[in-house]
Amino acid sequence: MTAADLHTLTGAYALDALDGAEAGAFERHMAECGVCAQEVRELRETAARLALGVALVPPPAMRERVMAAVAGVRQLPPLVPEADVVPLRGRRRGRGRLSYLAAAACLVIAVGAGGWAVNAQREAERDRARLESVRQETAMLVDLMSAPDTTMRTAPVSGGGEATVVTSRGLNRAAFLYHDLPELPDSQVYQLWYDEDGSMKSAGLVDAPEGGSGAMLLAGGPRGTDGVGVTVEPAGGSAEPSGAPVMLVPFKG
Amino acid sequence: MRAVARSEDPAAPAPGALETMLVRVARGDQEAFESLYTVVAGPVLGLVRRVLRDPAQSEEVAQEVLVEVWRTAARFDPRQGGAMAWVMTMAHRRAVDRVRSAQASADREHRAALRDRTPEFDEVAEQVERRLEREQVRRCMGSLTELQRESVVLAYYRGRTYRETADLLGVALGTVKTRLRDGLIRLRDCLGVAA
Ligand SMILES: [Zn+2]
Repeated sequence: MTAADLHTLTGAYALDALDGAEAGAFERHMAECGVCAQEVRELRETAARLALGVALVPPPAMRERVMAAVAGVRQLPPLVPEADVVPLRGRRRGRGRLSYLAAAACLVIAVGAGGWAVNAQREAERDRARLESVRQETAMLVDLMSAPDTTMRTAPVSGGGEATVVTSRGLNRAAFLYHDLPELPDSQVYQLWYDEDGSMKSAGLVDAPEGGSGAMLLAGGPRGTDGVGVTVEPAGGSAEPSGAPVMLVPFKG
Repeated sequence: MRAVARSEDPAAPAPGALETMLVRVARGDQEAFESLYTVVAGPVLGLVRRVLRDPAQSEEVAQEVLVEVWRTAARFDPRQGGAMAWVMTMAHRRAVDRVRSAQASADREHRAALRDRTPEFDEVAEQVERRLEREQVRRCMGSLTELQRESVVLAYYRGRTYRETADLLGVALGTVKTRLRDGLIRLRDCLGVAA
């Protein structure tokens, strides 16, 4: 196979569509052809985007099995000296600092738990719609978590629990990841606000599942705002905050 | 000139949250791994299932992939791309290996079966597309030519080699190679993917 032929194999290689011998030949070529190596990187990123579109809700038992398995699996050492990692600004230190993502699990699990009980057509359709919206939300969350300019700010919620606001100015998107929020009576709801020059603009209601942990994307983008606040409002939400915030996350710094 | 290029130095990509998490997984941080699991398990299972179809087998392979992420996290190199792409590449390869080893054992019948299955294919491709719920992905898939789209769907979501893809679509090998490449390039540009 000539070099010119090999250059055209980037797409097939990125999709694992070459057989063993051809894949080997292409890998040897790629080791010396920076153009192909770069193209394969980009095409793999592209393929990964296609995978987000077909995500499923994994059964809870799968998480348990994987966690049990890794406890007994020895990890490979790095091949190269470890590079310095830029710390994420605003990351909370100590126990629970990763709760922002653990919280995202609840979003997915909540759907999974209710998904299999009923067989009726209407239920099935509603589940499918929910799965679609979970996929969409997961995909956007992954986008946000993968953005190079992602910033996380974690703060306690007065009354209990804590929450992290994840923002990307580049994507102009923000997520609210919450953990152990105190349960509210049915007559009340947590509401999110963007602080725009001192005036509060609603960014959505928190539909907290049982247990008070989950994740949601904010309505509207963070660009041009000074921070995010959370208040407790009457069910259905309010046009303006009616009381003091239970949590405030300023964007400065 | 160096000052201008500094912020875009490919050797020092600014890590997103997923990349940072993976680096911590590489240090044996199980809490970081559980969080990573939360984000990637759904896409991993979905992609593997798309390729393998059998639910029990898919779950088994998805689990293997996720354990492999834990085991080889230290080999993740952010200069080679993002964490999500790294995980999904691993998932796709593992699923494809499984499907091909099963195929190899029934190769002769399989060749005939592949041809017989062709009429069914359009329906499959359509289903896949309908479920590509992200508006942008759907729009971008829609911008491909029919042959580009069918080639990408068969190779990626069905785990077909380009030879099988050519066979299924009844076109020359060289044509499929080219369609896979220019189809993905068009998707890349449409989705605004940068690596
Ligand atoms: Zn090349």
